[in-house]
Amino acid sequence: MSAHTTATESEQSDGPLLDVRGLKTEFRTDSGPIVASNEVSFSLDRGETMGLVGESGAGKSVTARSVMRLIDSPGEITGGQVVFNGEDLLQKSDAEMRDIRGNRIAMIPQDPMSSLNPVMTVGEQIIETIRRHQDVSKSEARELAIESMDDVGIPDAAERIDDYPHEFSGGMRQRVLVAIGFSCEPDLIIADEPTTALDVTTQAKILDLLNEMQEREGTAVLMITHNLGVVAQTCDHVGVMYAGNLVETAELGDLFARPRHPYTRALIDSIPEVDTDYDELPTLDGAMPDLGSLPSGCNFAPRCPHATEACRTGGDPTLDSVGDTTSRAACIHADSLDLSESTVPEVGVGRSDIDRSGEPLFEVHNLKKYFSAGDGVFGNVHLSFGDGGLPTIERRYVKAVDDVSFDVYPGETVGLVGESGCGKSTVARTALRLLEPTEGEVFFEGQPLHELGSTEVRSLRREMQMIFQDPQSSLNPRKTVGQIVGRAMEKHDIATGEEKRERVGDLLERVGLSRNAASKYPHEFSGGQQQRVAIAHALAVEPKLIVCDEPVSALDVSVQAQILNLLNEIQADENISYLFISHNIGVIRHICDRVAVMYLGKIAEFGNIDDVFSPPFHPYTESLLSAVPHANPNRETDRILLEGSVPSPINPPSGCPFQTRCPKKIGDVCETEFPELEAMDQSGHFISCHLSEAEMSERESFITPPKRTETNAADSD
Amino acid sequence: MYNYVVRRVGFMAVTLFFVTLIAFAVTNILPGDVALLILGPNATEQSLEALQSQLGLNRPLYVQYIDWVVGLIQGNMGESLRFGEPVAQLIAERLPRSLMLAFAATFIAVVLSVPLGVYAAINQNEAPDVTASMFAFVGISMPIFLWGLVFILVFAVWLNLFPTGGYVSPSEDLVGSLTRLALPAGAMGFALTAYIMRMTRSSMLEVLSEEYINLARAKGMSQRVIVLRHALKNAIIPVITVIAFQFSYAFGGVVVLEEVFFWPGIGKLTLTAIQSRDIPLIQGCIVVVALIYMFSNFAADLLYAYFDPRIRYGGDD
Repeated sequence: MSAHTTATESEQSDGPLLDVRGLKTEFRTDSGPIVASNEVSFSLDRGETMGLVGESGAGKSVTARSVMRLIDSPGEITGGQVVFNGEDLLQKSDAEMRDIRGNRIAMIPQDPMSSLNPVMTVGEQIIETIRRHQDVSKSEARELAIESMDDVGIPDAAERIDDYPHEFSGGMRQRVLVAIGFSCEPDLIIADEPTTALDVTTQAKILDLLNEMQEREGTAVLMITHNLGVVAQTCDHVGVMYAGNLVETAELGDLFARPRHPYTRALIDSIPEVDTDYDELPTLDGAMPDLGSLPSGCNFAPRCPHATEACRTGGDPTLDSVGDTTSRAACIHADSLDLSESTVPEVGVGRSDIDRSGEPLFEVHNLKKYFSAGDGVFGNVHLSFGDGGLPTIERRYVKAVDDVSFDVYPGETVGLVGESGCGKSTVARTALRLLEPTEGEVFFEGQPLHELGSTEVRSLRREMQMIFQDPQSSLNPRKTVGQIVGRAMEKHDIATGEEKRERVGDLLERVGLSRNAASKYPHEFSGGQQQRVAIAHALAVEPKLIVCDEPVSALDVSVQAQILNLLNEIQADENISYLFISHNIGVIRHICDRVAVMYLGKIAEFGNIDDVFSPPFHPYTESLLSAVPHANPNRETDRILLEGSVPSPINPPSGCPFQTRCPKKIGDVCETEFPELEAMDQSGHFISCHLSEAEMSERESFITPPKRTETNAADSD
Repeated sequence: MYNYVVRRVGFMAVTLFFVTLIAFAVTNILPGDVALLILGPNATEQSLEALQSQLGLNRPLYVQYIDWVVGLIQGNMGESLRFGEPVAQLIAERLPRSLMLAFAATFIAVVLSVPLGVYAAINQNEAPDVTASMFAFVGISMPIFLWGLVFILVFAVWLNLFPTGGYVSPSEDLVGSLTRLALPAGAMGFALTAYIMRMTRSSMLEVLSEEYINLARAKGMSQRVIVLRHALKNAIIPVITVIAFQFSYAFGGVVVLEEVFFWPGIGKLTLTAIQSRDIPLIQGCIVVVALIYMFSNFAADLLYAYFDPRIRYGGDD
């Protein structure tokens, strides 16, 4: 069947564009089949956007791939129908399916870095799609490809078409993927976490682009994401998946205002929002069950606060309409439960006041870390030919951290936030002397860390621990948890023998694991539990400072909330300080007392969390905060979209590092003079910008009064 | 790209320096006096000394080394003690024959192993994969010379398809030359197939699980296009290293195989040189073989750059 006839038929059929009925996809494993997508049913109309949300392993990607029949062995679609344009795709031959893929149904994948073929030019990759499905000549296809690159906002498309993927930034590559997706004007786009791998300012631009393309082409979108903020910004209706089941479908507004399934409620509540304050995030205990050993009743019952005996024994509930609403939920109590109220405590904190009258625990002065840019013939030494024709030798550096100063007081959490490549992780590593600083001073309890020898630094490490993003790679897989945690105690002479065992047990309980976890190996735990082990390991030596480098970025939101709460509790009990690195603004907002916003190795803004999130804003902070998608469909933020991408730290811009992209650039002064950090008031709020305070205060605060203000916020906008 | 090539050439120069140093040192540290070797055990003290000074052997070692290297650069590798001919000439005569054999063997290996590896990868763990892997293991599990003997036995003695050995220059008799090349090249190629095939297979498997392969499928590309256009060009990059390595290995294997097939190449020459303590010839052979190794790796580096645009465009700004 040619592409053309499919397109004509699509205009004739009047049912929904996509009608998935009882779709079941199983994976054969050694321990029997696993149902990754269990009797999933939903439908999608032309031009509509449906979100499919859930945590990792919920089955959303498998469901989407099943729609395109892209399930690899040992997976297999074992039941149901996928009716697209009135025809069941599961009955099509492989050749017919290939004519549909990329043509009527296209995919926009998650990771722009790995989804483009590195040895083919982006042009080749777009053109081959066009020529596969359209009867056009090579040169016509090339014209069409340039046009589609233009459409997705790639500058100088005609010149860049012959470039290779590695010559594009992450955001631009994602645009190329969008161009490929839309190149044959499909009826349906399946976007599988299209912005998850991107920085927040880039994410905002790509979401806008998707919306714009969709409106122009009238394409329907199935948006797979774990990010409820993205859902709230883009979708018309939403399906929530849990352990292979679709547990709720609803119109977007209803989903957030009146969720019908307890899991949906919990999912919404566990996201730390930028605009709200809370003592503690409401959490779900435990994690999603392993698909190989599902509970006998409702899959969610073991974690559900509303579960009754009937839930645990009655079998897995089916997805049914709730009362006379358009929502459907797989919950036997859906009709009687009222989940419209958030379980988040009504009154916002009470952030504990930090006593900053004494000496800071940790001080960093003018820290610099330059890496040599070793890409030339002679490493980082470059010959450059000046005007006179004489070669001059210069050394080139990547200025990863360039003159950064901040301090951390006892019991305080200081955040470092910024997009990838801004140098936030390097700051932490250099400050702890895991990397040798190029310049600058670091004091811990008044001791000059930058002057100490390596043995002295090592003994000070006891006071300063680190937690990393990926617990799986930071925990030794050949040691038991007991050995991992216990060894740190032995190394620093804290406890040995029976006492050590006792303390390890106590610690494991402290971080929410059972005592007998000590005899297990790291791989026997889930990601969240592994992060708990990493926290126990850090706490084992009774440190005063823990550096947390993206500690929750790899975790699902419900588990993320558990870990954030745990970190907060531990801080309250032990008066530990945290240096907390994250790209997630909501998480930073939730956990930090003060925060430094970094851009290109420098601090753009520093201050109390509320001050940074309120005017005056550094223009970069302002655009960063405005780009965060809120998990609240009623909330419209006036987003500032930054032009271009972050400049190379080898050749940083002159003057202010942000001047090349700054929407509020004044003029020459920004290009010639570096703006020093300047105090805005007495509370320690610093901004590095030439603008006047009034000019930086045009926008309202990103913080709204505590929770339950959704309707108010909508009114005032 | 410019930087990349310049750097590779720089590395080669440094490597070559160490090779000459080692070749020179080893042959000079080894017991045995050249003058004594030439004149025989009955030579007088005086005639020995006279010959030593004539050959320049009584000069300090570093002077001798510099002399030798300068000669090398000018293409003068000294004179063979055994043959009484210039070393350069001896090598120039035999090297092309060995290269011909090594190239033919590598060619046969690549032609056999890359398609087999690809085929095995797309039929992972199924009959074709298992068969190809077994075939490969048989190839790798026996030393090259044994394969030489087996090939002689089967194709020359039993089937009487090819001559058992010997060398004929292709410029004299092309067909005769190729029929004599067939068996040694085939035996060596067969032995080399295994490793390249395994590497191609695992490299293909890795590439086939990449996201961009998934996307190619989602674009509606056929299996053939995905394998040949999208996967192979990526998968071949690590295989190139193995091929270059196997070519060098083939060149080493030449020493033994040339014996078996009476192939008068550089392998046989080296063997003779060692047996007769022909020091200038040994040194010459070492340097030439090292050069072959280096150039095959350099060729691999250039091929990398050809296949991988990230190298081609990296580092020159």
